[in-house]
Amino acid sequence: MDLATMTAQLERLRADALAAVAAAADPAGLDAVQLEFLGRKGALTEVLRGIGGLPAEDRPRVGAVANDVREVVEAAIAAHGVDLRGAAMAARLAAEAVDVTTPGRRIARGTRHPVAETIAAIDEVFGRFGFVVFEGPEIEDDVTNFQMLNIPSDHPARDLWDTLYVDIPDHLLRTHTSPGQIRVMRETRPPIRALLPGRCFRYEAVDASHGFEFHQVEGLMVDEGTSLADLRGLLDEFAHALFGAGRATRFRPGYYPFTEPSVAFDVGCVVCDGVGCPACGRSGWMTILGAGMVHPVVLRNGGIDPETYQGFAFGMGVERIAMLRHGIHDLRLFMEGDLRFLGQFR
Amino acid sequence: MRVPLSWLRDHVDVDLDPAVLAERLTLLGMEVKSIERWGAEWRSVVVGELLTVESHPRADRLSLTTVTVGAGEPLRIVCGATNIAPGQRVPVALPGAVLPGERRIERTEKMGVVSEGMLCSGDELQLTTDADGILILPAETPLGADLSDLYGDVVLDVDVKPNRGDALSLVGLAREVSAITGAPVRSPAVTLDEVDPEVARRLRVVVEEPALCTRFVGRWVTGVTVGPSPDLVQMRLRAAGMRPVSNVVDASNYVMLEIGKPTHAFDARAVHDGTIVVRRARAGERLETLDHVDRALDPETLIIADPAGPIGIAGVMGGAGSEVSESTTDVVVESAIFDPVSIRRTGQRYALRSEASLRFEKGQDVPTARIGADRVAALIVAWSGGSVLRGRVDTDPREPGPSRVAFRPARVERLLGTTRTAAGQRALLARVGVATEDAPDGTPVVVAAGPDPLVVQPAEEAVVALVPTWRRDILIEADVAEEIARVGGYDAVPTRTPETLMPAFRPSPLGVRDAIREALVGVGFTEVVTHALVAPRSLVDLPWPDDTEVPAGEAASGGRLVTVRNPLSQQHSVLRQHLPASLLDVLVVNERHGAERVAVFEVGKGYAADGPRAREWWRVAFLLAGHAEPSAWNRPARAADLDDAKGVVEVVAERLGLEPVTFEPDRRGMPFHPGRAARVTARLAASGGPRPTGFVMAEGDLTVSGHVAELHPSVAERWELRTPRVLLAELAVAGLGGGTLDPARARPLPRFQAVDRDLAVVVAEDIPAAAVVEAARRAAGDLLREIRLFDVYRGAPLDEREKSVAIRFVLQAADRTLTDAEVEAIAAGIASALGAEVGGRIRT
Repeated sequence: MDLATMTAQLERLRADALAAVAAAADPAGLDAVQLEFLGRKGALTEVLRGIGGLPAEDRPRVGAVANDVREVVEAAIAAHGVDLRGAAMAARLAAEAVDVTTPGRRIARGTRHPVAETIAAIDEVFGRFGFVVFEGPEIEDDVTNFQMLNIPSDHPARDLWDTLYVDIPDHLLRTHTSPGQIRVMRETRPPIRALLPGRCFRYEAVDASHGFEFHQVEGLMVDEGTSLADLRGLLDEFAHALFGAGRATRFRPGYYPFTEPSVAFDVGCVVCDGVGCPACGRSGWMTILGAGMVHPVVLRNGGIDPETYQGFAFGMGVERIAMLRHGIHDLRLFMEGDLRFLGQFR
Repeated sequence: MRVPLSWLRDHVDVDLDPAVLAERLTLLGMEVKSIERWGAEWRSVVVGELLTVESHPRADRLSLTTVTVGAGEPLRIVCGATNIAPGQRVPVALPGAVLPGERRIERTEKMGVVSEGMLCSGDELQLTTDADGILILPAETPLGADLSDLYGDVVLDVDVKPNRGDALSLVGLAREVSAITGAPVRSPAVTLDEVDPEVARRLRVVVEEPALCTRFVGRWVTGVTVGPSPDLVQMRLRAAGMRPVSNVVDASNYVMLEIGKPTHAFDARAVHDGTIVVRRARAGERLETLDHVDRALDPETLIIADPAGPIGIAGVMGGAGSEVSESTTDVVVESAIFDPVSIRRTGQRYALRSEASLRFEKGQDVPTARIGADRVAALIVAWSGGSVLRGRVDTDPREPGPSRVAFRPARVERLLGTTRTAAGQRALLARVGVATEDAPDGTPVVVAAGPDPLVVQPAEEAVVALVPTWRRDILIEADVAEEIARVGGYDAVPTRTPETLMPAFRPSPLGVRDAIREALVGVGFTEVVTHALVAPRSLVDLPWPDDTEVPAGEAASGGRLVTVRNPLSQQHSVLRQHLPASLLDVLVVNERHGAERVAVFEVGKGYAADGPRAREWWRVAFLLAGHAEPSAWNRPARAADLDDAKGVVEVVAERLGLEPVTFEPDRRGMPFHPGRAARVTARLAASGGPRPTGFVMAEGDLTVSGHVAELHPSVAERWELRTPRVLLAELAVAGLGGGTLDPARARPLPRFQAVDRDLAVVVAEDIPAAAVVEAARRAAGDLLREIRLFDVYRGAPLDEREKSVAIRFVLQAADRTLTDAEVEAIAAGIASALGAEVGGRIRT
């Protein structure tokens, strides 16, 4: 074997190998080509076996050509391998394509009731001002629901609360959360900042804005210097938190036997923004709660000295707030359980 | 209280636009509910003068008139009334006019004569009650003027609060206007020309119940002619919402609206012996009241009587027998002060509330007893002729002066958060007729009134408010503070963010309830809030068990049903004792709307009576019906079954840090499917869980109990449900009544491999799967990390009374990797325990 022959064999091998690489149709074929030409028992090894027959000075030259052939073929295999894997991936991806415009698979999801959600929202605002939650019974005694709140039996103010009475002597369904004021005052000492959410009952015919069951949140704050100005400031913060920072508010006299002075608190109509519309009786205002400075008699009934301490209380209808927040126009929807309604509060 | 502005102007000058006046009154605490334009309904109704009145050529009962309305040709108008004559001024509805009730007037032909409009009666204009005659206007009424300009009015509807009975009158509201504008108030002047004899010679009044009738003033008007009131009076009464009756009755009503003093006019003939007795009714006495209802009188009722018997229910309603009629010639005027509580009770007892009783209930200004009697007598004379007998019968002519209420200006500022001077406060009080004077040394201040008043000796400057007799609402210092704030305007109260001491932290009692809500919403349940008041039937149709032990700290359920004594309807007459019946009602509502999946829950209370006390308990209940998993476009829905409901129970328990939940068969049947109902229990695990506030629970304490079940098919039928299977649960949960959740405790993550083994155990069919798992759990020892059932197999090669329960248990040690030998030993221990405890054999 001479140098020229061997070199020619290597050149032929290179050409054959490159052709075989190009012809390989898949990664397995390419592996076979690798084995056939470059493997331990492959064609290149076979050719180089004859290197011993060459003169010593020619051996490095043949070695150089052989290395060159190996590198070229390896590079070709690698390059073609990338192409082949890319094609295989592309084919798989093409086969796996779906119509992405079909709808997603629904996962059932529930919703909180707007009353519970609104109580949480109210709690959130007052909680930041240090108000803590208390609760009282719904079957209340006449003494706590009325008499302790400066509403004696046969007082004309009782007309403000049409009452449902139960067959337990001297008991009724609480007409408001205000009896909670008495319970809180007897349970804790000033400083008091208490919030009392809960269900209330009235003897009231049902229509779009009245029901015989509804929810209220009562607030009570008592300390040495708690004044009407503190009440006004707090209610403004509350109105702005729930109805927007720019919401106008109105602080005006109201009447409750258990507060003196008493307050009615209005916000600019959330429908017409104060212009005047049917929703606000064309006044531009909507009353959202009643409030006032706790009457000295009520403080005393709660065991608190009205000469040392003073404070305020407020009470709001949760459904009323929820109706304004969510644009609900019929109170009856709250207790019907119609999922088409409840499902909207996601 | 309906306030016609034209009437209000009799008592105070009002220059404000009605809308502005309404707002100012509202800001003063006299909330104006609505502003009504009275007469706004009249369009094209003008003043005309009758030129000629002739008989209609073809109809006897009709007249043919010519009327001028000032400008243009006289109009020819056909008229059916008989009270018309040439020269009278009358309201003329021109063609195109619209009258109240959207009645349109057009040019029409009446019996062959074209009528160019219509002459109007007071009734047609809703000005007076006279429907027969044409409304004859005063001769000086300007010709051609628009009637709405002359008689139109603005009526404010003012919501007078129960403490301000004094403002239930025109004069009372004029005082409020005066507080706004400073314009002086004009009270009606009363001048009487009295004639002999002395009234005392005709009328005697005996008050047998001086506590209930503290003053009775009587007047006698003789020689009256009863007929309709003057048109202006009728118009005012109408605008104020009262029906005109007759000149005598209207005088009484007019004075009630004018100065707030209810009075009553009796036909003097019906007062036997000229003697009036104010007493309680006697057993068996009856009275036909003015509304022509014959009433049995209760001995608690205060009545006006004569020697022959009752002639009126005091302060509430007169008797029909003494009603003023057209034949009445002499009238006895009663103007009394009655006890407010007695009047209120009487009104409630007979379900009879009148404008008069509403005013008596709120208390009366004592001097108005005298003023009212005089004023009514004067108006009767003015409107129905006759004369007033000399003097009054008055059972207590003493009249109190202003009451003295001491206050500390500095204390008022502390309450209001304002910075007014004492002089500024006194100036504000003066605007509502409350004079002030410096308090003499040692004047006590009443902080709280009542049977046990709180009176203090002021250390600081004090002032005495001299409160006029009509302001019965100003009794203590805080009342004065409100009056100052009110007159000064609540808008003057500064806005301050509270900066007083904060109370100590208190965990929210809503913690556990909110956590459960959040967990259930997360697994696809929608929260509902339903009525606590339900129909008694619903509790019978769905008798939910109340025999389960409840977690410590939670109230037990069950007990005597609480019934509403005055229910609005039978549908809402008892307080519910469980929640599932309400959830079934929700299902019905949603089935009606075609819902395919109803998954709802409620966190609510049950109620019962324990003797003289009430008991309330919190529960969470859920209902699942229809699809457990909703369908997708390429996947059908899966129907819900008991396992779905049990999974929800487990989610609730898991959220509370509890594990595991035990389900035991409950075969009671109704209202459950006897083979698909379970009693639920979960106990506190070492990892902690919810805690009622201030309540210590120990590991192993009951934390969840209740039932989860498929509804018995016959109950579903009774509720007429469309959904074949309804899953229901109600659970008592520790902390639901007012607890918080402890934070979850983290455990170190395992560092050594866990080993799992499966075991299939053949047991008798009647052995519950849970018993197999429990026996295995007990036998597994400390290295057990998890154990669960993963298959139940029935069929060959097993006997038909057998089943194979497959359980997987996971073992793990904290300090080493377990060897095969250790694992095999534990598995063998489990196998032998299963053999001993549930008669199981290992299937290989």
